[in-house]
This record gives sequence, structure tokens and C-alpha cells, in this order.
Amino acid sequence: MFFLKIMLGAAVLFFIPAQSPGADSDLKPGDIIGPQNWQHVQGMVGENLLYRIKQGYSFKIKQGRSIGPPKDYVLATKHYSEQVGLSTNGELLNYVAGQPFAEVNLKDPLAAQKLIWNFYWRWIGDDYKTGGGTGEGKIIRYAIEKDGSERRADVLHHTIKTRGRVSLGSRPILQGYEHIDWMQLRADEYPRDTAGTTTLEIRYGDPKREDDLYVYVPSIRRVRRAPPIQRCATIAPSEFNFDDINTFNAKISNFNYRFLGKFKMLGNLSQERIPFQRKTGDYLPLNESWEIVDSYAIEITPKDPSYCYPRKVIYFDSQNYEVLWSMVWDANGTYWKEQFALRTPVKLADGQEVLSVGSVVINNVQNGRSTVVDAVRTYNQGYQPTLFTLATLQTVMRGGSLR
Amino acid sequence: MALSGQPREYRQRTDVTGTFDLALLVFLLLLVQPSSSTAQSIFGKNFDEFVNDNIKFSGFTENTTGLAISHGSHFFDTSNPFDMNRFTIQPEFNIKFRDDLTSFISWRFVKEPRYSMESKSRKQSVQPAANGTPLVPTYYDEYSPVPWEAILDYKPNDQLTVMWGRQFISWGEADGIRLLDLINSQDSTFSPPVAPNLFNLDETRIPSWMLRTLYTVEPETNTIFEFFALPGALEKPKERVDEFMGTNDTSDRTVKYGRWSAHPETRIAFGRLFTNPLSAAAVVVPITDRELPGSANSWKFGTRILHNFGNLNAGLGYIWGYNPQASDMVFKLAGAPSLCGPPACPPGATQLPLKLVNDRTSIYAAHFNYPITEILTLPVNTTVRGEMAFFPNKPYNISDYPGRNCQTGAPTGLIAGPSCQHASQVIEKNTLRYILGFDRTTFIPFLHPDDPWRAFNLTFQLYQSIIFDHEDGIRVFSGAERINRFTTALTFRVATGYLGDTILPDIFALYDPEGYYAVNPAITYAPPWNERIRLSLIAAIYGGRNKFKSTGLFAEKDSLFLKLRYQF
Repeated sequence: MFFLKIMLGAAVLFFIPAQSPGADSDLKPGDIIGPQNWQHVQGMVGENLLYRIKQGYSFKIKQGRSIGPPKDYVLATKHYSEQVGLSTNGELLNYVAGQPFAEVNLKDPLAAQKLIWNFYWRWIGDDYKTGGGTGEGKIIRYAIEKDGSERRADVLHHTIKTRGRVSLGSRPILQGYEHIDWMQLRADEYPRDTAGTTTLEIRYGDPKREDDLYVYVPSIRRVRRAPPIQRCATIAPSEFNFDDINTFNAKISNFNYRFLGKFKMLGNLSQERIPFQRKTGDYLPLNESWEIVDSYAIEITPKDPSYCYPRKVIYFDSQNYEVLWSMVWDANGTYWKEQFALRTPVKLADGQEVLSVGSVVINNVQNGRSTVVDAVRTYNQGYQPTLFTLATLQTVMRGGSLR
Repeated sequence: MALSGQPREYRQRTDVTGTFDLALLVFLLLLVQPSSSTAQSIFGKNFDEFVNDNIKFSGFTENTTGLAISHGSHFFDTSNPFDMNRFTIQPEFNIKFRDDLTSFISWRFVKEPRYSMESKSRKQSVQPAANGTPLVPTYYDEYSPVPWEAILDYKPNDQLTVMWGRQFISWGEADGIRLLDLINSQDSTFSPPVAPNLFNLDETRIPSWMLRTLYTVEPETNTIFEFFALPGALEKPKERVDEFMGTNDTSDRTVKYGRWSAHPETRIAFGRLFTNPLSAAAVVVPITDRELPGSANSWKFGTRILHNFGNLNAGLGYIWGYNPQASDMVFKLAGAPSLCGPPACPPGATQLPLKLVNDRTSIYAAHFNYPITEILTLPVNTTVRGEMAFFPNKPYNISDYPGRNCQTGAPTGLIAGPSCQHASQVIEKNTLRYILGFDRTTFIPFLHPDDPWRAFNLTFQLYQSIIFDHEDGIRVFSGAERINRFTTALTFRVATGYLGDTILPDIFALYDPEGYYAVNPAITYAPPWNERIRLSLIAAIYGGRNKFKSTGLFAEKDSLFLKLRYQF
């Protein structure tokens, strides 16, 4: 592990994010990537995965398939995007629904701001149940130790967008919720000791207003309020924190952004199996092919110097703004966490095919721990905002029973 | 102090209802048994699918072993300091009948052995001095077929939730201290006091049959109206208020209380606190009885409204019914003092009937929480929370200090005696209790080299009880220790996790500025290879300036516990 750290640290100095623009020039569907030809994907995957390829991990390159956002979202983009602007401090102005900026000139000095707002308001349904599309109807999470030991946890996760709605009922805004962007309920269901622990998270539109975070603790049968800094705390035993959910779930206005360029990255937008096959104790997907995806890279640095991630780089696909890769460095500039998210097509009620997150892997290369999450979503469940209140927390029972 | 109590016969009772409940448990267990893919039950495929999709089985089994570690303990200084081996099995079922109708049912089965410690050290009694008999072997056992919790949750529409059944309600957010948590009673017989790391509220509160409704008036501001009604008659009498440990100096020579009963040293001339002797013999024998709420008058109602004012979340509530807290009980005179003699009393003694009662009262509640990110640009990152309970005309026992003859004014030589001004020996005072809590998430990277962002969760609380129009001589019901106008306690808790939360330290400490303290450290091992297992080492340590009040009552009961839990 020490050797790995040294290697990855060196990569920070000499490689990231200077991807060779021609790294993929020889790649084509059907190619097998492995330790014999890892150079072909250098810069197209995270350094940790590249290290594992050098150590023996191999996979096939497949043909990508284009799945864009659904038509309601596209229509909303056409309808509203022209009126959207940015304030001098980078805040989004006059946003209603759809993708805020239909076209982004990559040479625009504000390109990073526009892209990150496009990412923030990307299509994710008017509401969704993360894990609803897995076989078990919930998120299945494995915390993997350096020695390969594993612990499982089951989590229920419901999200409702209160603004920017394009499909369901009251749209584009839920009346009375003009000040809120979204609300999330997250309930642990297994193992039993944590079952029923439920978090209510509310994201306000006001850039100066911090999120609300309430936690119902079943062992004391009470709702506790968590301070905003809790967003940075590791959700142990996983390697995620609250801002890592959906790869980058922090408040946009709390960060600075720099556009690093457009890259061809390796991703998997059509995960073959949920969950993917893997060896027990390892996080690498087996028998899954990867594809080349046009991606934007954004460097994210916090305005608050005490924030947990001094530097984070995310790569999201240029069509759906879904993140493929995320990389984090610590305050010493040492490579720290690497996350890749596989995507999978799912169908809406009207038969349209859209992209959902599939399985997500995060590695902490400093402590050797990893987390694998199967989180396929079901979209547009028709949630009512009354679900996302303290009343729901008051009535959570052991076992995490949530509607 | 002499308290009488009923044995826990209800815990062994198996009546017709119980048989039905047990049958229900067996039925549910059979339903969730895994079956082969080809096998189909006699109930048919649709029923099998319903069971697989809508019934979830979980629960835990746990063993807690305790050893007394006090040095020089009068209670535990025996050849066998073994003071707890509590084995629990708790099966739990979540059932989804429809999207708007769900249920949760659990049972609790507990077995503890008979303790040598208790048998050897509890055979003493006073007034009159004689040998008693030890606790019945099944004293701590629980194997009632009645469900521990049984909740039916119905959501007729998006705004209304109705929960009926045996359940818990706990208002407020206090940690380790009970302030607004006054709806359910508490079983203090098996668990040590002020030790939230050993048995939490989930395990020590006694669920009650009740109806609870929550109506969301305005979801965007979390404006929620809550109402509950608790008939009380559906509970056994002892479950309507706190179960607790009294002392063992019972006049019927039967030891009724176990490991967390008060010290023999706390025995004082208890009867002399209520009356002076009628004859020259300076002995007053109290004949005490605990008056439990009757089935017809133990209703409890409560209502609360919650609302967000911007970042401030606040609630106002009201509870009417019995205050279940054992520490708030008072002794009331149940008759006039009279002379008595052998064999019930020493020659020429005076006897006095007393009843120990809980107060049926109104309780006004309020609570709030507010996150503070920074003050004057300094990062604070703390959630401030507060809760308050106001008890109008709360009864207290009162005595004169020092004891004196009410007719002559001559001192009796005792530290306290009956109140000459208040013939009932009870006085009522408005009482306010509040807690200010500060919850802070702190990162201390050098203490977490493998994960600098694994938080330390720190909680500091200031608790205070204020007796308005306070009078000197107000005292605890069980002894001669006075209660001041202000009673204060400070608590501190710190918890975190190491090595991917496989090592989980958690320390709770309480300090009473009158000179008492309690410390409850715990460390839990959650093996990285199995999320179902947890092994905890927990200590409960008490001390103080004397053994007659607050946590000093348990100063010789320090114990060390090993707890192994397997979740299924």
C-alpha cells in the first residue's frame, strides 16, 4: 500500500489531469485492456484503477450507446434556457427547469460555472428512489476493508425535486417550495442496530442558507439535528460523506470551479449486471466492458479552506452530465479517494429509456478501504412533499419502514 | 425506607390472550422461513409472494455479563462479584399490508439467573432487624407472549398518520437525561442508572398501548400537529409508572429488589422524617405501600405542535396524566400514627402508614433546535438545542432540619424530622426543568490517522431544575437529603469510530455540582467480516460526596459489563 501511495502521489505531480489527448486513439470495441497494454487507457481512468490494470485487471472495450435525457427535459431546456444567466458571483439566475445552459462555449471564461450548473440541474427525474431498480428495491452497500473483509448495509433513499420539475403533477415548482431545491430521506434498513436511522436532508435555493440535516435515532427514539459540517463527515463504515452522494452533492455556491477540458474517458453507461460480478473482498467489476465517453472535467476547490476536500476533480459525460469519475486529493496534495460510477439504462413509465446510476465504487487509496454501492434508481415515483418532513421521521419504526 | 411491591407475576402469566399472541409469533416465524424455489405453501402462490415481498424479519439476541468492580463494596464484596447475566432474544417483524398500512411487531424474551451476590448480601433488613429471603429466581425474566411493540401504522392521506398499538413516544432530544421523555414509563430494575451506553431508551422504556396521530399542516415549514391518547388500563399496574429498585429493608422480610436498589447505608430512621414517636420508645416503623395508578384513572393525553421558523425548529406541547418518573414520587400519609408492639414492632414503637404515589398532573413542554455555523466569522458548527418542562404545583416531601418535637420545639437529635408547618409532609411548588444542549461535530485529524474526516460527535448539556418559591426542607422522598432551589447537572458525551467503524468508543459522563458524578465509558468492536456481530465492553461508575443522593446512591455499585449482540 505504501508503494501504491508513492506511485499515486507521483501521478498527482506528473499526470493528473494532463491526459494525453490521443490516449484512446488506438482503442476500438472488442479490444482487451490489461497489464500488457495499460498505456492505452492511461489518463482515461483513475490512477488507482490504472494501477490495478497494471497488476492484472483486464476488461473489454465495448461500443457505446447514446441515451439522452427524456423529452420533457429537452423541451424544458428549449423553453427556459435562454432566460438563464449567471450573477457576478456565479449564482444561477432565472432558472426554471431543464438544462440551464443549452449550449456552453468551452472557451467561455464562465464555462466551468455553466457546466457545473448544468450538472447540478441535470435530469434525474422529478423524484427518484435510489436503489429502487435493484433486485431488492433498495441500496445495497458493501464496506470492504483492506484485507478483503466485507460488511453489508441496506439503505432506502428517496429524493424529491421541488424545483425544476418537468414531468409530474405540479411543475416546474411545487407550490410553497420555491425556496427549496430538493429534499432527501435516507433510511438504514440493515443491519438491525442501525435499522430505522433516518436522515432528512433539505437543500435550500438561497446560496447563503445551509442545508438542514435531521437524523432520527431509533435507539433513543428521537430526532436530532446535525450541524452543517456533518456533511463532511465520513458516513462510516463507507468511504462516502454526504457531499459524495451522487458523486458531488454539495452546495454549488460554496465552491470555486475550473474547467480542465474535454476528455475521452472510460466509462460504462450500460452496466451488464446489477450488482456486477466481483471477487469477494474486491471492488473491481468482472465481466463488465467499458466504453469511451466524451467527458468534461471540472476541478472543484472549496471557498472554505477548512472543507474536507481541498481539491476534487469530476469527469461527467457531455450528454447527460452524469459523473463517471471523481478524484480527490488531500491538503498535502496526496491522492486520496477515487470514485467511479457505472450507469445503466432504465425505463420510465411511458417507455422512454433514460440513464440511471448503476453501481458506484469509491476507494480510499490512503487507508485501503473501499465501498461498493448498487443504487439503480426508479424515477418519477410521484412522491408527495409531506413524505419529506419531520413527521415521517417521528413515525419511523425499527426496520426502517418507510413508504 | 421500606417499600413493598408486587412480584413480577405478570411476566410469567400466560392467559388466553397470551396464547393467541404466542401463536401469532409462531405463525409469523413460520411464514418467513426460507423455502425452496419449487416448494409452495398450503396458502398458495399469491400468499407466498405477499409474505416474501411484504414481511421482513429481523431482531437480535444478546448476552450481557456484568461484574461488580467496586472496592470495599458492602453489596458486592462477596466471593462472587457476578451481578448480571442477561440473555435476551428479540424477534421483530415489519409487515406491509398495503402502501398506506404497515405494522411492526416485536417480542422480548429475557432470562437471568439467580445471583449469588444478591442471595448473600440481600438477606438483611432493618426495622425490625431480621433475615429476609432472596429475590425470586425469575425476578428479571421476561417471557410474556404479549408483544413488546405492536404498532399499526395507517396513512389515510399524505398529511395524516395514525399509529395505534403498543409503542414508544419520546419528545425532546436530551441525551442520557430524562426531561420530556415522560410519556412511557421506564424499567429501572435491570439496568444501571445513567448508563445510556449499556441499555438505551429502546431497551429500558416500557412501551404503552396508545393512539398516536400526526397531522402535517404545512409540510414546507414542517408544521406538524401531534396528539396521543394512552388509556393506561391496558397496561399492568406496575407498567403505568416507572418500575424501580427500592431498598430491601422490608418489614415482611422478603427481599423484593435487586442489584440497583439503594444502599443499606442509606437506611435512616425513615419513619422519623414523617412523625415523631408517640411514646418514649424512639422508634417509628413506617408501613409503606406504593399506590399504583388505577385502571380507570390512568389515562394520559398529550398534544404538540412543531414548526420551523427559518432555521429554528421549535415545538410546544402539553401532557396530562401521571408523571411516571420514580424520582418525582412522594410519600403521602395514609393514616394517623399509632402505637404498636411486638412482633410487628419493637416494644413501644410507633407505626405510621405511608403511601408512595406518582403525581397526576399537567406538564407543559417546549423544545427547539438551531444550527449555528459561525459566530463573528469564527466557525462554530454546533447545533444548539433546548427543552423545557414545567410542572405546576409539583409535590415534594418536606421536613424540618434539624428534627424537633413540634409541640415543645426540643431537638430530637436527628438530622431531620417531620415538618411542623406542613402537617401533610407534602408541599406543592411550581417547578421548571430545562436542558441546554450543544451538539458539535469535530474533526481531530491526528487522532484519526486513517480517516481524518471521521467525526468526533461531542455533546455537552446543562440540565437545571428550578423550584419556584422554594422552601428550606424540601427533600428527596426516600431520605433526608434536601433538594435545593436549583439542581444542576452537566453532561458530556464523545463518540467516534476507528478503523472503518470497527472500533467504536463512546463515553458519557455526568457531573452534579453538589458533588456527584457518573461515568459510562464503552468500547464496541464491530468485526469487519460480519455486520451482524457487536461486542461491547462497558463500565458504569458512580461516586459522590455521600451515598444518599443523586448518583452517590450507587457509589458502591460500579460494574463492568461485556455485551455480545448478534443481529438477525
